[in-house]
Amino acid sequence: MNVLKVSGWVIAAFVLPCLLLYVCLVFIPILVSIYSGMLDWNGIGASKFIGIANYTKMFTNDSVFWPALGRTFLLAGFSMLVQVPIALFVAILISRYVRRPNFLVSSYFLPVILSVVVIGQLWKTIYNPASMGGMINQILIGLGLDSWTHSWLTEPKVAIFAVILVSLWQYLGYHILIQFTGIQNIPADIYEAAKIDGADGFKADRYITLPMIVPIFKISVVLAFIGSLQSFDLIMVMTGGGPAHATDVISSHMYNMSFLSMKYGYGSAIATFLVFVCMLATVIINFLFNRLDKRYS
Amino acid sequence: MTRRSRMLGSVMAGVLALSLAACGSGSSNTSDTTTKPADNSSTTTTTDNGNSNSNEKITITFQNIYPDTTDPKNKMLHKIVDQYQKDHPNITIELDSLNTDQQKLKLKTQAASKEVPDITIVNPAAQMQPFIDADLFAPLNDMIEQNGLKDTFQKGILDYYTFNGNVYALPDGNNIAVVYYNKSLFEKAGVKVPTTFEEMVDVVKQLKAKGITPMAIGEKDSWTGSFLFMNVLLRTNGGPGFLKDVVDGKKKFEDPAFKEAVDAFESLIQAGAFQDGVTSFDYNAGENLFKTGKAAMYFMGSWATGGIETSEAGKDNNVGVFKFPTVNGKGNPDEFMLAPGSAFAVSKDSKHLKETLDFLNYFMLNYPKETFAAKGAVGIAQTVDGDFKAAGYSDMAMDVLNLFKEVKGGDLAFDNTMNPGTAQAHLSSIQNLFVAKKDASEVAKEHQTAYEENK
Repeated sequence: MNVLKVSGWVIAAFVLPCLLLYVCLVFIPILVSIYSGMLDWNGIGASKFIGIANYTKMFTNDSVFWPALGRTFLLAGFSMLVQVPIALFVAILISRYVRRPNFLVSSYFLPVILSVVVIGQLWKTIYNPASMGGMINQILIGLGLDSWTHSWLTEPKVAIFAVILVSLWQYLGYHILIQFTGIQNIPADIYEAAKIDGADGFKADRYITLPMIVPIFKISVVLAFIGSLQSFDLIMVMTGGGPAHATDVISSHMYNMSFLSMKYGYGSAIATFLVFVCMLATVIINFLFNRLDKRYS
Repeated sequence: MTRRSRMLGSVMAGVLALSLAACGSGSSNTSDTTTKPADNSSTTTTTDNGNSNSNEKITITFQNIYPDTTDPKNKMLHKIVDQYQKDHPNITIELDSLNTDQQKLKLKTQAASKEVPDITIVNPAAQMQPFIDADLFAPLNDMIEQNGLKDTFQKGILDYYTFNGNVYALPDGNNIAVVYYNKSLFEKAGVKVPTTFEEMVDVVKQLKAKGITPMAIGEKDSWTGSFLFMNVLLRTNGGPGFLKDVVDGKKKFEDPAFKEAVDAFESLIQAGAFQDGVTSFDYNAGENLFKTGKAAMYFMGSWATGGIETSEAGKDNNVGVFKFPTVNGKGNPDEFMLAPGSAFAVSKDSKHLKETLDFLNYFMLNYPKETFAAKGAVGIAQTVDGDFKAAGYSDMAMDVLNLFKEVKGGDLAFDNTMNPGTAQAHLSSIQNLFVAKKDASEVAKEHQTAYEENK
């Protein structure tokens, strides 16, 4: 493996700075948080080691935890099964039918670079009740669909979907960009060869684009999944987890516990759980896609 | 080659360190280097008793919650600090001005690593308890005796900041909860100021019938609804001390007084008292509804007075105040929800403890005078010498000041009385009432369970 003709030490020296940074900023905090997850600690005063008591409480005796976890996966599900496929579809359309696609892709990407606080405030105004000039409700009333109007962000059953929609809207452009780049990287001669063989249009997409895009698609799915597990800012800005936990997800629950209820140890236990779910999910998604990859190659 | 690059590296590191240090020293000390420090004819009361080795350069960090440059308190802060630095050329006061929420979070993080700034901000009673348990603050008993500082505070107010006989913090305010109302909207709907809670529900219905939003609230910040609910409870309980009785084991949340309060509170919500989408309005957005004349009533601590009198709705004395009325004939309107303000505490591990205490003493002595001059003296914790009327305070401000004179005790907010865990459960339980009708006994049970879990 000595192709580069440099010693292992040199390689180690070059890797070291980044590795150190990674260990200090990722691994050590994770270890610390695993440890604090076993403490009964308010974050300020004295702490008491209580083993796995925080975890048993979390799994058996926390009325917010499971619904919050459920909503987190709901968001992840929408993100992976709705957002990413739509992004792929749009990316295919753009790369196929648009002469100068860059402008369009950039416009779709725009919400990604906007601050989440701006997005949150914007959509809060859009979702407002009609009496406060909310756009959606006014349109519905204008169409004579009064019965469809809702207080989108304050009805417990509707609120989480309202937030999910915004999250999907914001990151759609991100995934379009990823998929679009992936499609651009598929060599044109494959399509030309296929055309000669009679595979054009939809068929070419089915048998060339889709199989060739699988690795890129995988990246998108993993990013979508992890991103949804960690979603926090948008929910804080739009609803703050309310009304009465109706839009709490796992990370906002973690924040509430650590900093508002001042159960730092318990919050750390939730954080640790989140880390493991993220790792596990990445492994599973990788495994599934590797099988998919093999089938096509 | 290697040597050269190493030298370059160390130079670069040095530059970096320098630039960091330059950032760290902050901008707050620039003002006193330009002005001549010799000028000792201070207009404000001087406190310190000499020039204790004035050659030593001392920096005191002062974490505070007055970041808004348009706020009179911010101006007051800078004025006192500048004056102090002028009188004490060796002392630099470094201001760390943050929003309330940011400050709370930052202090908790700092406390976790035992790096509390020299002066910081804490909230009274139960919210202070964890910091006291962790032994982070210096007792101020001796300091408040100096220059008669203790006597400037209103009677009893320091009790909320006293633990085991030691005073640990000095409050910047002492407020009560009142109901602000928009006179012209009341006139438009043909309603009068309610004297009972039942009349209030009636007023709400009449305002609603006229298409006016009866009450504004910013329930995304769930303490706002809790504050109102606790006032209802203060009435149905026939007086203060419900939560204390719970803590002492004399009462449970399942007590009839608590359930009655939940029922009354729900009747207000069900009458349509609050704006649509109430749980997505944060504190400022809720208050703005009232300030822009879009809502007829607003229940809030008297700290809102300054903002309301300068607002659109408050022009031409259009806003009045009234006491929260009796509920089902119970309670005394002269008992208020009390809100002893956030308070200045001094870090026990401060490197310059003596200088910090001296500065805080000076700061608090000048605080009433400067806030009075900046027209922010409604609801401060110290007695003010001065004629408010002559100084140009509005009629509404005068009304609020008169209410202060009628205060006969009351309760603190829920999160100032209970531990944080129970408080969070309470806040979300009350927030839920705004979006869903719930049985009072169920709400009481939720509270009791949360209390027992967090005991």
